Amino acid sequence: MSINNEQRKTYYESIIKNGYNRRDFMKFTTYMAAFMGLESTMVGQIAKSLENTPRLPVIWEHYQECTCCSESFIRSDHPIVADIILDRISLDYTLTLMAASGHQAEAAKQETMNKYKGEYILCVEGSIPLGDDGNYCCIAGKSAKESFLEAAEGAKAIIAWGSCASNGCIQAAKPNPTEATPIHKIVKNKPIIRVPGCPPIGEVMAGIIVHVVAFGRLPELDRLGRPKAFYAKRVHDSCYRRPYYDAGLFAETFDDHNAKEGYCLYKLGCKGPMTYNSCGTIKWNNGVSYPIQSGHGCIGCSEANFWDNGPFYERATKVPGLEEEGLADDIGKVAAGVLAGGLAVHAVAANISKRKELMSRIRRGKSNEKNIDS
Amino acid sequence: MANRIVVDPVTRIEGHLRIEAEIKDGKIVDAYSSSTMVRGIEQIVKGRDPRDVWAFVQRTCGVCTTVHALASVRAVEDALDIAIPANAEMVRNIMEGSLYMHDHVVHFYHLHALDWVDVVNCLKADPKKTSEIAQSISSWPKSSPGYFSDVQRRIQKFVESGQLGIFANGYWGHPQMKLPAEVNLLGVAHYLEALEWQKEIVKIHTIFGGKNPHPNYLVGGMACAINSESPGGLNAERLAMVGKLLKEGKQFVEQVYIPDLLAIASFYKDWGAIGKGFGNYMSYGDFPTNGYADLSSFKFPQGVILDRDLSKVHDVDHRNGDIEEFVNNSWYNYSDGDDKGKHPWDGETNINYSGPKPPYDFLNVEEKYSFIKTPRWKGLPMEVGPLARLLVGYGRGNKEIQDAVNGALTHLDVPVDALFSTLGRTAARGIETQLVANWTMGFYDTLMNNIKNGDERMANMNSWEPKTWPAEAKGVGFMEAPRGALAHWIRIKDGKTANYQQVVPSTWNASPRDPKGQRSAYESTLIGTPVADPELPLEIIRTIHSFDPCIACAVHLYDEHGNHISQVQNIASCER
Amino acid sequence: MKTRNFKRVMVWELPVRIFHWLNVLCIVVLTITGFLIANPPAILSSAEATNLHTFGIIRFIHFTAAYIFFFVMILRIYWAFVGNQFASWRAFWPFTKKNWNNFWHVLKIDIFLLNEEKHDVRDISIGHNSVATLSYLVMFFIALIQVFTGFALYADMSSWWLPKLFSWVIPLFGGDFMVRTIHHIAMWLFIFFSMIHVYLVFYHDYIEGRGEVSSMFGGFKFVDETRLKKAVEELDEEIKTD
Repeated sequence: MSINNEQRKTYYESIIKNGYNRRDFMKFTTYMAAFMGLESTMVGQIAKSLENTPRLPVIWEHYQECTCCSESFIRSDHPIVADIILDRISLDYTLTLMAASGHQAEAAKQETMNKYKGEYILCVEGSIPLGDDGNYCCIAGKSAKESFLEAAEGAKAIIAWGSCASNGCIQAAKPNPTEATPIHKIVKNKPIIRVPGCPPIGEVMAGIIVHVVAFGRLPELDRLGRPKAFYAKRVHDSCYRRPYYDAGLFAETFDDHNAKEGYCLYKLGCKGPMTYNSCGTIKWNNGVSYPIQSGHGCIGCSEANFWDNGPFYERATKVPGLEEEGLADDIGKVAAGVLAGGLAVHAVAANISKRKELMSRIRRGKSNEKNIDS
Repeated sequence: MANRIVVDPVTRIEGHLRIEAEIKDGKIVDAYSSSTMVRGIEQIVKGRDPRDVWAFVQRTCGVCTTVHALASVRAVEDALDIAIPANAEMVRNIMEGSLYMHDHVVHFYHLHALDWVDVVNCLKADPKKTSEIAQSISSWPKSSPGYFSDVQRRIQKFVESGQLGIFANGYWGHPQMKLPAEVNLLGVAHYLEALEWQKEIVKIHTIFGGKNPHPNYLVGGMACAINSESPGGLNAERLAMVGKLLKEGKQFVEQVYIPDLLAIASFYKDWGAIGKGFGNYMSYGDFPTNGYADLSSFKFPQGVILDRDLSKVHDVDHRNGDIEEFVNNSWYNYSDGDDKGKHPWDGETNINYSGPKPPYDFLNVEEKYSFIKTPRWKGLPMEVGPLARLLVGYGRGNKEIQDAVNGALTHLDVPVDALFSTLGRTAARGIETQLVANWTMGFYDTLMNNIKNGDERMANMNSWEPKTWPAEAKGVGFMEAPRGALAHWIRIKDGKTANYQQVVPSTWNASPRDPKGQRSAYESTLIGTPVADPELPLEIIRTIHSFDPCIACAVHLYDEHGNHISQVQNIASCER
Repeated sequence: MKTRNFKRVMVWELPVRIFHWLNVLCIVVLTITGFLIANPPAILSSAEATNLHTFGIIRFIHFTAAYIFFFVMILRIYWAFVGNQFASWRAFWPFTKKNWNNFWHVLKIDIFLLNEEKHDVRDISIGHNSVATLSYLVMFFIALIQVFTGFALYADMSSWWLPKLFSWVIPLFGGDFMVRTIHHIAMWLFIFFSMIHVYLVFYHDYIEGRGEVSSMFGGFKFVDETRLKKAVEELDEEIKTD
């Protein structure tokens, strides 16, 4: 089928139409190239690719995952996913939605990788198992690692969907039986947008795609590679129950009077104070609710290692490296007790060991006392 | 010798599934089903707080997204003898019911329809005729000629762009695509509509569980406290939203999904004779209305049907040795030999990949060939899923289920035998969606009535603290996930999870052969399927998709040193 | 029997004493409020949240104490360059031969409670002994950890540049979880330190009888006259100041 270039708007055209001039456009691309760590000679190439690529080609890989990210993506309300896949991007490979199976599916991916080398976005859902030579996840007879490296090679940028691709998530929880590995530890030479969450909010996922397509550049990232637009604030700091926290009004257990009043869930183990996400602002499923609003504490699903950061229903600090029962306060109390005992023993021992010295000093002191003159 | 073809990846499913089929004279003579991904969730939950485990095992699957959490809290509540408040039971039922509606609709349109509907062919349709067809089968308002021509124009523009995206390399123009262009257009229009609708029905999960996918559950009830007189809990506004979403969901099922299903099915009646399989069906039963302990109160009855004999239904027992798992053809070892089965409470899993080194062309199916274990009921393979549920209900003499099944058979004008097929499985999914949609409205009414009568309890926290627990306990949490019978077995020791095992629907259906050489459902149903063009596996994925595969749960535990460990394990399959 | 003559020596200058007691206050307040923040008590108040700010006040006290702790630390570092020989940074440099000898001596005599054949007054430290110096050095680093982790956790709520300077700590440890864990565990180290510190102060006072405890109030310690090059007569001095 021949491509009719006149009918489709490229990024360049749509940016111009939206009131930017060519200079702005070049600034975007320069910024993007700098961000991507590319040499300045490549700026022109990126600009050219954005000008000429019609719908942004996207390859969406699935490795060790549960498909909750794909499911969340199709929950997006604005834009709805039909608009994204029909008008904004060309989702050329995704195990969840694509019509073709087997060889036909792999051929579609291959075609995009060849035709749009250096231009397509690679989305990764799931972690990559490195254990047992990568035998724990194979697709089309290839190991996940091999398949990922192949797809990453020609990608313009990589989006790590969800906590699996960003942090390893559930399968990387202790003892991480399959050596599940997040993608940024495997590929270092590509810009990677990390979008943690189990899953990320649908509108956040769609928002990132819109950002890339509509603004023609990657979103600004924080030091952990997360888009600042969605991960700059803690759930706690944007939580509508925050006034109860500041007032010291807490639910003590589920379904008690305080829980029914909607008091803060801090004492029920809410991880909102340590979790960066948009749950309190964008909320879930087009703003209907979010875990805390529905009475359950945040489990911190967008934070690295959240599965191993202590039990979900307690405010407890675990000592890293210690397994069960490794709670800092328990260990602290025991250690303080042992220490106090040790000091008492030391005090007794000091009296015994230094008794000569002490006795002689007391003797001197007493005789001086007797000799007080005035 | 027969010609071996490989379908890997099987797309439009959850997880990583590979089918190898042997074809002779245009028909499949043998088939092998393999899952090629493993994560080890059961090993990971070992030693964790049983109250936390639901969240871990919920991540077994993001598509069915609540079923593992529900099975897990039921298992823990069973072990600790916790009875949940009536409101929590209704809320869980409403969430599960809305999951059925969501899951089955998404499966039909987005995971299955492209096997039957030719997207590109819809460009040839006359939108006016499509409109006439739509209006003749349903009162759904979006059915004007203008509406369909807009959809057609949009697809036209999309196809002309040359970037076919998710539709690239599809089986368009395949001789097995038999729908008239007008029905194809109807299917494509509703594909897009269903995609937009599905994000609405899940908001029920968001209200009760805070988010979807992966809403929150709670051992002892639910966390979403009711408070009819405060903004702090579920009040009239929140509950009204649930009511509205349920009503709209039911409407979509009745006015879009069911009419489309029947319309499309009527062009594929020949598939009522394809994909028969061995004829054993099992359902654990679900949707309790008087507590989890009272099996007679379940909306879906439990039972086993052997050899398509609907006149006799056998009872299922999760606690004796009836259910066993085998690893003779799976990449695991048992300490006392791979030929014997193990009951999940005593199961052990020790991953030992012995397949070919990637990249490979074929699996060695003479030896172990999958990460899925092989479960058996009294040594027999079982098919689970919507069809099994309806057949068990039918056999149990449940009037509501019998009427629904008979109604659909009459409408399609096919014999009862047509149920035992690829078409039957797909139709059963629709029939039960309608049933569940009705029941869910009933659960909602019960919940509202309870609140009206002053019962606002949502969680039983009496046994929340581990110090109230016995030193050792074991429990089973079973349910009917949209994809079929699902159960979790837990052993609790000293307040920690000592052993955890999941036997999920796709384990039953997608597993490799057992020691007696008996095939499981996927392998068995593929035999005899005609394949017009071995290069294009359309017929294979039709039958496989009729099961709605969910493979991510095919995750067993293992010990990285290759030693025997007698703990956790999880049998494969994810709810879609 | 020979009796020693002691002379009063100004060991801890006024700023050092102020730093010390402010530190004590801060550590106590930070620990108590820290525990409260980590595990707040049940307040079954029926008051409206709008009329309460209990927990906010606890947090405010914690943050205020943290700022004081931080600035005291800065001033103490300044004083290490302008203060007397006992306050000087040189006193905290453990790698001199003299300090090493003293270190072993303190370990032997004060920690393992061995007795000496022959007393040498020069073995008794006038300021900090070497083991104490080392422990203060360690505490200084733990205090730095508290400053870095604490301000890092606080940075996101603040619009001031100072806490923001520490915001890079969070990604360094992969997230708030680990930073909070470190902050919490380091607090326990302060508790352990305080216990040992207070005990050893009493111990030295009791065993050596030179006014170790009172020195942090008045600043004076009693030093054997023979260790002074030239002793100022107590009486004359006091009369002069009158």
